[in-house]
Amino acid sequence: MDPLTLGGIVAIATVFVLFSGISVATGLLVVSAVFLLIFDGLRSLELLPEILFGKLDNFALLSIPMFIIMGASIASTRAGADLYEALERWLTRVPGGLVVSNLGACALFAAMSGSSPATCAAIGKMGIPEMRKRGYPDGVAAGSIAAGGTLGILIPPSVTMIVYGIATETSIGRLFLAGVFPGLLLVGLFMIWSLYSTWRHGSAEVLAKRSYTWRQRFEIMPRVLPFLLIILGVLYAMYGGVATPSETAAVGALLCLLIAMIIYRLWSPAALWTVLRDSTRESVMILFIIAAAGVFSYMLSSLFITQAIAEWIGTLDVNRWVLMGVINIFLLVAGFFLPPVAVILMAAPILLPIIIAAGFDPYWFAVVLTINMEIGLISPPVGLNLYVINGIAPDISLKTILSGSIPYVACMVIAIILLCFFPEIAVWLPNAVMGAAI
Amino acid sequence: MATLNTNSVAQTGNNPFLKVVAALSNLSGWIAASFILLAVCVTCQMIFVRFVLNQSTIWQTEFVVYLMIAATLLGLPYVQRLRGHVNVDLLPIMLPQAARKTLAVITLLLGIVMMGIMVFYGFEFWYEAWSRNWRSDTVWGVRLWIPYLAMPVGLILYMLQLIADLVALLQGIEKPFGIEGET
Repeated sequence: MDPLTLGGIVAIATVFVLFSGISVATGLLVVSAVFLLIFDGLRSLELLPEILFGKLDNFALLSIPMFIIMGASIASTRAGADLYEALERWLTRVPGGLVVSNLGACALFAAMSGSSPATCAAIGKMGIPEMRKRGYPDGVAAGSIAAGGTLGILIPPSVTMIVYGIATETSIGRLFLAGVFPGLLLVGLFMIWSLYSTWRHGSAEVLAKRSYTWRQRFEIMPRVLPFLLIILGVLYAMYGGVATPSETAAVGALLCLLIAMIIYRLWSPAALWTVLRDSTRESVMILFIIAAAGVFSYMLSSLFITQAIAEWIGTLDVNRWVLMGVINIFLLVAGFFLPPVAVILMAAPILLPIIIAAGFDPYWFAVVLTINMEIGLISPPVGLNLYVINGIAPDISLKTILSGSIPYVACMVIAIILLCFFPEIAVWLPNAVMGAAI
Repeated sequence: MATLNTNSVAQTGNNPFLKVVAALSNLSGWIAASFILLAVCVTCQMIFVRFVLNQSTIWQTEFVVYLMIAATLLGLPYVQRLRGHVNVDLLPIMLPQAARKTLAVITLLLGIVMMGIMVFYGFEFWYEAWSRNWRSDTVWGVRLWIPYLAMPVGLILYMLQLIADLVALLQGIEKPFGIEGET
């Protein structure tokens, strides 16, 4: 059979199997095994355990459980609330300080955790009730946190960027840097919308400035400074050429655990076990998808599907921006249904050669792809963050959360468009710090 | 929706088989979690040796990667028990109760068969390394059957947990896909 037709059949079969409700990783294994069995014979199944093991046999992957532990140990404390409180106390000159502080805290927390749902939960648990108490509209309170939480996968360290780096064999350090300014751009857009929306709702008085004494400003610092120092330490270690992302992440994880224990008195074995259990659950889930997606991409390339698709796209004589538009729509749709990690693992190895052939920068593309995945996190039907918000603020209806999030989706689309016109937003920092990419 | 239920755990009712499997999955999960924690500590130790003591490290990199792989494989049954493997449950939610249950049975059976195949070849993969006494081609030269052991053990426990889920579903102890309520 023509590999391209076969590719189409594989795509349909994959959608069909994944929509059955089987777990994503097992589903990918089933699809891979069936197609290998039919087109490569029984002997090809023998290789499955070796490929599965081999895909995990990578030191770079170690950074995933490490960053997850880092995020989970901070998320188990009230550090999220401390972060936005500290920001609010210092940002008294800014109108709407609370929502601005919450978004800022999301960005900072994202810089420690690498995970979107974790960011959402850590800041939202205290931030949403506080914003509502002070009269911010429910839609803004829920939407800003849902959207702010998505920054977790864009602002470094980011688990999705690590996965992209591994799937495409690009530099994880460079990917991290590429996410910084687009992340800040998004935070800015989110803030502008939140303030405008609150003002338009006639809640102008809640935007009024509050004042804090210097004493209040300083007394909160001991609780947030250690985390800020860890962020700086992690960045220094990674870009000062001291250590690899995995090594840095391990130190970060240990420090965050210790800080949670010392400053937030997270002593009890039960509380520590909760952190460890949640980290194990998330790490195992992600690593298993990575291993299964590795088997899946092995199947695609051993049946020559990957190569055939790349060749076929090459023969299509389309404008590179039309191509980029189509790819974006494809990613967006995939992101509506599948977790970011799964989309990246399945799509990146196929898309990357096409992207490079069309003259796009792979690091720039990583950012665009990640923002697409962020949109998926706050849009139905998957919208993991929407459910996290629903879980921490059960009395806000899912409809309000949803309608509150839609404007933030628009902000992300604007960010993607800006990135298309000004790719430097993403690639300037990595080029400046690490030299031009080859 | 690719949902992550954060607070659900597979129910066992009074079924002794389900209880035994639950205990095995929990044990496996604890081992996985401690492997991850150990990997954190060993990596930190490695950094200390390399950057503070300025000595070279021999076994750490390989060791922590094997710990992570073992944690992943041994964590599978536990994460299945915690309902932590993400899935797309859009279709199951839309289906009526009876069809949802049928679909749940089919997906569990698919998973069990898949894991059965993986266990079979996974055992071969391990046995080959063990009988031929393969060693990794690094300075440390670890006997490969040790890290490879996680493959058959983790997968067989995962398969057992899937079988237990199927039993719980058929006996009405668990709701199909863990979805509450009628649609």
